[in-house]
Amino acid sequence: MIRFVLLTCVSLLLVMSASGCTDFIEPNQLAFVLGSAIDHAEDGTIEMSYQIVIPSLQGGPSKGESSGDSAPFFVMSAKGKDVFEATQKIQLKMSRRLLTSHRVLIAISEEFFNKNDASKLFDKLSRDPANNLRDIIIMIKGGSAKEFLMIKHPLEQLSSIAAGKELDINGLKGFSSRELIIDSLSRGIRPLMPIIQIEDKKLSGKKTSPIAALSGFAVLNDRLKVKGLLDNNEGSAAIWMQGKGTFQGVTMPWKNGQGTLSFRLTRLERKLRSAPGNDPGHIVLMVKAQAYLLENTTPLDMSEVKNMLEVQKHINEQIQKDLQLTMDKIRQWGPDVFGIGEFLHRQYPYWWKSQKDDWDEKFKTIDVTVKANVRLRSTGTSGAPLE
Amino acid sequence: MKVSGYQLFWMVSISSMIVFSYLPIHLAAEQSLQDCWISILLGTMIMLGATWITLRVCMQNKDKTFVQFINDLIGTVLGKVVVTMYFLLWFMQMSFIAKGTVEFQNLVMLHNTPMLFILLCLLFLVLYAVYKGGITAISRCAEIIGPFFVFMLYVQLFLNPQDMDATRILPVYADSGLLRILSGTLHSFNYMVDPSIILMLFFFAENKRSATRGIFWGTAVAMLWGVVSTLVLLFVTGPNIAAELVVPIYSLTKFVSILNFIQNIDAFFIPLWLFGAFIKLSIYLFILSYGLSEWTGYRNWKLIACLTTFIWLAYTIYSTHNIQISNTLKNRYLIGLCYPMVYIVFPLFLWMIGLIRQRRKPSSVN
Repeated sequence: MIRFVLLTCVSLLLVMSASGCTDFIEPNQLAFVLGSAIDHAEDGTIEMSYQIVIPSLQGGPSKGESSGDSAPFFVMSAKGKDVFEATQKIQLKMSRRLLTSHRVLIAISEEFFNKNDASKLFDKLSRDPANNLRDIIIMIKGGSAKEFLMIKHPLEQLSSIAAGKELDINGLKGFSSRELIIDSLSRGIRPLMPIIQIEDKKLSGKKTSPIAALSGFAVLNDRLKVKGLLDNNEGSAAIWMQGKGTFQGVTMPWKNGQGTLSFRLTRLERKLRSAPGNDPGHIVLMVKAQAYLLENTTPLDMSEVKNMLEVQKHINEQIQKDLQLTMDKIRQWGPDVFGIGEFLHRQYPYWWKSQKDDWDEKFKTIDVTVKANVRLRSTGTSGAPLE
Repeated sequence: MKVSGYQLFWMVSISSMIVFSYLPIHLAAEQSLQDCWISILLGTMIMLGATWITLRVCMQNKDKTFVQFINDLIGTVLGKVVVTMYFLLWFMQMSFIAKGTVEFQNLVMLHNTPMLFILLCLLFLVLYAVYKGGITAISRCAEIIGPFFVFMLYVQLFLNPQDMDATRILPVYADSGLLRILSGTLHSFNYMVDPSIILMLFFFAENKRSATRGIFWGTAVAMLWGVVSTLVLLFVTGPNIAAELVVPIYSLTKFVSILNFIQNIDAFFIPLWLFGAFIKLSIYLFILSYGLSEWTGYRNWKLIACLTTFIWLAYTIYSTHNIQISNTLKNRYLIGLCYPMVYIVFPLFLWMIGLIRQRRKPSSVN
């Protein structure tokens, strides 16, 4: 019996330590990558950059600030024929193993999209188990993506975390790499991608520092080429019509230029249906939301029911007009970021079979009417404007 | 050596779910894209039917093992030939599951550990359980592992509600059509559950009636999980990605992100799958060596288990060096002929012979 117990203990010890000989990695042998950047490089290669956290400089935001120039991260980059080769070149210069499982963001420069086939990147994301498909993918304008990783953020420790939070806090969900791949593989929908622009801003005192901020959305076609850019207002309209937004703010002028009204819109929804007569060529896009009046510079007394009804009517008309403008603008470019093709695919699957090729061209001829159904839920905590 | 119906429930459900989480979804999605859940559903129906038929056959021959009763039913020579086919099938399944498990470990976690080492550990554990306790030890292990395994695999499906979009399975039927749905079924149903293990296991059941119930419900629980997990996978990834995911359930665990805090939970599931593979492999090794001992007439099945393990080890190592052999899972003859034969046609045939003999008996007595 004693011999048996001894034998078991010894063999257990041997077994448990054996995999440690070859694959044991302590946390202090890992380099946590929180952001990746992909840039175009000449002669057919790509430049990968990794934003790597320096654990010893991690702490509260105030602590990071006081240590002056030393940022709690650094960026390593290398060129290669594909992602793996570039990563391997970086790995050779590192004292720790790169760990990409916790990455929150992949930044890709606009130039890369235009000069390369970006869909080639997807294979690496889904084949290598060291990737998660949860990270957000954004496009960098006005600079290289590598530059974006190097920028310090005034509030967050890393620019990639900042960009991720920026999208999140503004209700922009659904820009993960998983969703980008789904959108670009489906034939009836095209990706819409958030753009981060690097600008010089005066944040405090005399110093101007570069800051990266959300500055609109890029409309990509089926080969992931940029077909057009939307500013923030058009972007949020497109997001709403795409069905991805959750809340946003909107400001609109009152009739005859008598001041403006600002609302918070919540519970954004959109519904697609074909126009009466079941014609796939005519689509009605219905948007829904609940509005809360938060600023009123018009002379309207919002405690009166008559005015409330009039305002509600006005919001609907105005939103309908704005969204239709954005819709027509994107429709002229061609890429169907709203998934109307996907809707038609589901609604008229047999009709779709003959239409799915070259959808970007055909989408231009589809007639889409936007209808708004926004309900005024509240007019805020004051009736007439305080004057 | 006796097993209860409760233990059979866990053994059958674990051994079905472990393969279901790996092969069939990919094979079906390749064929019928967003309609692969229909393919899977049809496949589960077929397999439940096959299980039912197999159970009928077992009930007709309650007090004999498969190797014994097949000799009674179709004669010694033919019986031995047929049983050899089953032996080959089990051996093939054993080696491909062992190889799949080990290579997955190498790919995902243990990049530098030699494959041989992981394989040796796995096979040693399996052999140890079979050698020391036979089916009793395996069934007790299954009883302990089962509830965790099945519960966790079910829970995992509902961990990413925020990523699910049910419209991704639309349009139903129109895109793929009947032919591609059926082809998806044909490619996938063979790997959902292995009803042939019941032929051997049933003999060891203590109470035949509760064993029937246990096995049937065990299969049903695993089949339900398979259909739900296919649907969840389609909701999360859409048909185009789903068709390319080789280990879909693993990929599904990687999408989980609870409040941006609980992520990368695949590390919790990999040990669970190892447990599941252990149960499945031990069952195979046991029935194979026990069957072989009856087939050859050599009583010491434990020795046969040791010998089998050596051959198994050698074959698995050989098959990892030979890409051709190790990737035969989609072979046309295997899928179209071999599996339907051993899972459906033979049991059906045996059941009918049993029925005819039962009819004849009273008349011959009179």
